[in-house]
Amino acid sequence: MNPYIALLISFALCAIVAGIMCGASWLLGPKVENKAKSEIFETGNPPLGSIRGIRFPVKFYLTAILFVVFDIEVVFMYPWAVVFRRLGWMGLGEMAVFVAVLAVGLAYVWRVGALEWD
Amino acid sequence: MEPSALGNVASLAYSLPEIVLGAAVVLLFLLDLVVTRKETLGDVALVTLALVVVLSARLLWGDSAALYNGAVVVDGFALFFKLLLALAAFATVWMSLGSREIQKNGTGEYWAVLLASTLGLLFMASSTNLLMAYLALEFVSLTSYVLSGFMRHSRRASEASLKYLIYGGVASGTMIYGMSWVYGLAGSLDFRAIHTALMSGQGAALPLYVALLLTLAGLGYKVAAFPFHMWAPDVYQGAPIPVTAFLAVGSKAAGFALMIRFFFTAMAQSVGAGVYQLVGGVDWSQLILVLSMVTMTFGNLAAVAQQGNVKRLLAYSSIAHAGYMLMGFAVLNDDGLRAMLFYLTVYYLMNLGAFVVVMLVANSTGREDLAGYRGLAWRGGALPAVAMAIFLFSLTGLPPLAGFVGKFYLFAAVVEKQLYLLAVVGVLNSVVSLVYYARIVRTMFLEQPTGGEGVVAVDWHNGLLLGLLTIGTLVLGVAWGPLIDFAGRSTHFLAY
Amino acid sequence: MSIGLHHFLFVSLLVFLCGLFTVLTRRNAIGVLMGVELILNSANINYIAFSRYGGGGYDGQVFSVFVIMLAAAEAAIGLAIVLGIYRQFETIDVEATDTLRG
Repeated sequence: MNPYIALLISFALCAIVAGIMCGASWLLGPKVENKAKSEIFETGNPPLGSIRGIRFPVKFYLTAILFVVFDIEVVFMYPWAVVFRRLGWMGLGEMAVFVAVLAVGLAYVWRVGALEWD
Repeated sequence: MEPSALGNVASLAYSLPEIVLGAAVVLLFLLDLVVTRKETLGDVALVTLALVVVLSARLLWGDSAALYNGAVVVDGFALFFKLLLALAAFATVWMSLGSREIQKNGTGEYWAVLLASTLGLLFMASSTNLLMAYLALEFVSLTSYVLSGFMRHSRRASEASLKYLIYGGVASGTMIYGMSWVYGLAGSLDFRAIHTALMSGQGAALPLYVALLLTLAGLGYKVAAFPFHMWAPDVYQGAPIPVTAFLAVGSKAAGFALMIRFFFTAMAQSVGAGVYQLVGGVDWSQLILVLSMVTMTFGNLAAVAQQGNVKRLLAYSSIAHAGYMLMGFAVLNDDGLRAMLFYLTVYYLMNLGAFVVVMLVANSTGREDLAGYRGLAWRGGALPAVAMAIFLFSLTGLPPLAGFVGKFYLFAAVVEKQLYLLAVVGVLNSVVSLVYYARIVRTMFLEQPTGGEGVVAVDWHNGLLLGLLTIGTLVLGVAWGPLIDFAGRSTHFLAY
Repeated sequence: MSIGLHHFLFVSLLVFLCGLFTVLTRRNAIGVLMGVELILNSANINYIAFSRYGGGGYDGQVFSVFVIMLAAAEAAIGLAIVLGIYRQFETIDVEATDTLRG
């Protein structure tokens, strides 16, 4: 008997139960459409325009992208840290070069003003 | 007795060109923060690339070696391409210094990104490992996206870089998916180990074929071969002219370098006397043969239909030339490879030359359409018009120009392998290509200027580059011996 | 029956096809880039699976680490380019950007 069969059965049961619940309420429930009901619920106030019109300032995006780019470089430090002792001074030197290049990148980004919020 | 790969420290002595280039990239970014006159950075880039050419040339007299535990090699083949690529970058920097498009948008990072891209090209020419190959290729792609969208306030440049990005992302994604299958079937990322595994009969033929097709997507995209060429016309038209030249010459040559090395060292077996045999039961040479015919036919027919923008026309012409060069690939021997290397060098001279003329016209008049070339010879542009005619006839393959010699060697290799159909298609294509090349020449000389085109002036800076490229095209048409010898010596891969 | 190499390969094939479908059908540039991410991750699944079940050693895992890093770099550059497109064209529909024509 496969141990994953139980998991599969559980998935199937979830789907069936959820299907029955949604289906039953859709079949049995009364459907009354009116304007007030189809409106977006904003705690009683009339809605102000469409949600699609809202834009985030580009500063958020710029900062996030810069964060992701520098953040992801840490991925290389995990495998490096695992074998750190075996690599010895050589490994330390190589990582120092890597971090130095990243630092130049950060310094460049800083100086050209990409990190300024205002 | 097989020499083993060198470790990281011992490899440094062999990678001086790359070290210099990498240091220059970092230096340029730092200089950009303090230097206010941005042309200075261009001069630094020019000097760096001259140094890279010299350092690469010096390695020609040294030994071949596998470096960094087998990630890259230094051998005759790699050095040939390193020289070619460094020279392509050198000419690009020279062009950029004289380009109005670049100067108008003058920011310092352009030079750093251009050098970074060159660094990627050098690694593409020498990598012997799928991971290294992917990293190099992607490095070139990412920097090229930035370069092609360099004119930030131009609609067509933004659009060019978007299209390049989308096609490039899909192509490289497909390629690494294919590579993952190669890795799974052969059990290694190393070209030589893949070769050994395939020789021992490991890996079923059909999955391997599919994996190769997927891998070819990424490589074919770099050289702009048929089903993966869609980006080329738009990007060539939209990017700044020096960047277009760089893509047409540099990234195409590096794509071929990587493609040749992967297919010839991992997927083929040398059986002596410069002849190769397929391994792993995948007939990729047949596939390349079909790709070659389709690519050149498509490129030429599309170019004939192209009436407007000259850069776009040169894009289709460059697709067609990728097809010609694939001919040398399909014959599976050293003669074909030699012809390919020779043709790439000749292509470097004549195609770059054509782009210099396009840039001169655009600098003076701001026009890139064919009508802007009307009567070019009679309104100050006699020298560029004559040079353009030489380049275009050389691209067609007319004697006594370098392009003729290049095509002669390609066709000779094909005929010797008795691939007559390929040869016939190739010759017919060359005839077709005369139609659109001659149309430009006729516009430049036989049509009278209507007066609104403006005067084309040639400054010494661009004139010198144009002169050098013209002389190269003429000289290689009559004295091709040394170069073909050099190309012949460069067809050997290091079997470490 | 236990989970083996084939299951991973099947999942990765599905992810790859989803990515390809997304790339081919989306007209929104961001959507296309998301499809590319799917393709890259399908390759990652393959590398890890082959590294675990095939004889490939750690090479595959190292490869996938590099793919993750490059995917981030590509996303950064991609979004910067898309932003530039939005400034020029006021849309990021890839079919609406058609100044470049033959």
